[in-house]
Amino acid sequence: MIEFRNISKVYKMGEVEFVALKGVFITVQKGDFISIMGPSGSGKSTLMNIIGCLDTPSEGSYYLEGKNVSGLTFDQLSTIRNRKVGFVFQNFNLLPYASAYENIELPMLFNGKKGAERKARVNELLEMVGLAPWAKHRPTEMSGGQQQRVAIARALAMDPPIILADEPTGNLDSKSGHEIMEIFSQLWKGGRTILMVTHDPAIAAFSKSTIRLLDGAVQDNGAVH
Amino acid sequence: MILAFFRNLFRDLVRQPLRTFLTLSGVTWGTFAVILLLAFGTGIGKQQMKQFRGMGQSIILVFPGQTTMTYNGLPKGRRIQVTPDELPLLQARVPGIRALSPEFISSRNIRHGREQLLNTVRGVDVPFERIRNTIPGQGRFINEYDVEQHRRNCFLGATIAKNLFKGMEPVGKQVMIEGVPFTVVGVMIEKDQNSNYNGMRDTHCAFIPWTTYMTLYGVKYVQNFIVQPSDPALSKQTIAALRNYFGERLGFNPLDKDALSVWDFSDFERQFNMFFTAFNIFLGIIGSFTLLVGGVGVASIMLVVVEERIREIGIKLAVGAKRRAIMWQFFAEANCIILIGGTIGFLLAALLLALLPAKQLEEYIGIPKLNPLVGIVTVLILLAIGTLSGLTPARRAAATDPIVALRK
Repeated sequence: MIEFRNISKVYKMGEVEFVALKGVFITVQKGDFISIMGPSGSGKSTLMNIIGCLDTPSEGSYYLEGKNVSGLTFDQLSTIRNRKVGFVFQNFNLLPYASAYENIELPMLFNGKKGAERKARVNELLEMVGLAPWAKHRPTEMSGGQQQRVAIARALAMDPPIILADEPTGNLDSKSGHEIMEIFSQLWKGGRTILMVTHDPAIAAFSKSTIRLLDGAVQDNGAVH
Repeated sequence: MILAFFRNLFRDLVRQPLRTFLTLSGVTWGTFAVILLLAFGTGIGKQQMKQFRGMGQSIILVFPGQTTMTYNGLPKGRRIQVTPDELPLLQARVPGIRALSPEFISSRNIRHGREQLLNTVRGVDVPFERIRNTIPGQGRFINEYDVEQHRRNCFLGATIAKNLFKGMEPVGKQVMIEGVPFTVVGVMIEKDQNSNYNGMRDTHCAFIPWTTYMTLYGVKYVQNFIVQPSDPALSKQTIAALRNYFGERLGFNPLDKDALSVWDFSDFERQFNMFFTAFNIFLGIIGSFTLLVGGVGVASIMLVVVEERIREIGIKLAVGAKRRAIMWQFFAEANCIILIGGTIGFLLAALLLALLPAKQLEEYIGIPKLNPLVGIVTVLILLAIGTLSGLTPARRAAATDPIVALRK
């Protein structure tokens, strides 16, 4: 499903070059649940951004569902971001002035889906994450756990096969964190491929295997739990 | 999608009322200024033209004078004199003349009962009415029979009629001109007239048949004659042909401008129109600059908005928005603000024009009107400014790096 062949990412900051990833090979099968661990600056976020097509590699090839996407432009990748990938962030990244409903609807607005279709899907997702009564509420009126559930619903709006979560429980207390992980487990059992960055071994324990990164290189590929 | 766009725009405008007010006020004031300047500009131009046409539309006034060049052995300084019988011949020989009239002018004592005035009397022919717009409000103008039979009939300007008759009905009554009784056959409507030649303005004049004038006052030559060309655009050719004809007939060099002095209204109207077009363009430019300042305000506010909403842009890009979509969003928002401001400005200007006591000011500035041209010009200027002020913020928004934006 996801295949990295010798992917490198180099950031240029003026004269100085910063190597975020060097020669990474990864293969993720459909239906995997993989946690990515490693210290700060080890390249976890860069790896996630490239997988999610928010960033492009400096070198190497990235195959997504068998198709090489490393040479595509930002706007060409927007369709992949929209349909193939759902992002869940540590700080939720919800639109603060929009309701839960509107936040979940957002990815569908860039796809030309019809109004009735959007409405049905949003209500279905609200139901699924248990926030149906909160549809009209803004993120600022919700708890962290509720906000993250809205974010997960948004990630699922276009029914993507891949979910990318960057420390999804990082800003939550352990109870809410566990609730969120329960949802991820459900999604995984439903057949979705999940990649999750985390610092917390207890959270990583929910995943099927772990990739460890250090200084932009893969340390330990796919230790199965 | 469109609904969501307007919902966002409205939310953004309401969220910061002071900022919205300041942004809108720049555009509102600019639009207001452009519309008023253009409306007043065209109003003044129209009024001046109307007053100018009070003397006649596209006519040619010809004043016989003195030669300043020798011609076929004739010396300089000869007086050129034209008798009224020359005029029918002129019309027959020179093409492009629709109508013409001789004119005799002098100051005469005019009396009715105890009211006695020293006013201008003009001896004219029938076509004078159409040429010089001496339109009767009551009765009629001098007609063919008056001219043919040397009748002592007269046609009065509105003011002189009012001064002599003090509210009484003048038509059919008698006035004494230099002690000779004349019957009033008509009174002219009140008209605006801002230019004139020999004698008083039409509203103060008494008009009598030229034949009567010649007989009573013993004059032989016309003071001037008036020509109405068939085609005002060809007035220059008509004048040249007229000079050639009279030059040969009366003995002067056709290039001698002083032998026949000519006042060509068509030419004057062209210059006048050119001046007012330039005047309006000038006003339009001044107004546009005011509007431009408003546009710069919108642009800088939009840049701030882009900065404030960088997370929102990052989120949208992450969930699959194309950069183009982001660009359109901000471009459309800037244009919507300009549109709203423009509409308010337009309504305020329309309101002011409706409430303006135009009647009292009409003589000086005309009636300022929101004509379609003003509307079209304003909309074009607004569109240009919307594009200019929307483009930079929109491009900056579209160039956002989602990775950086999401980390903020």
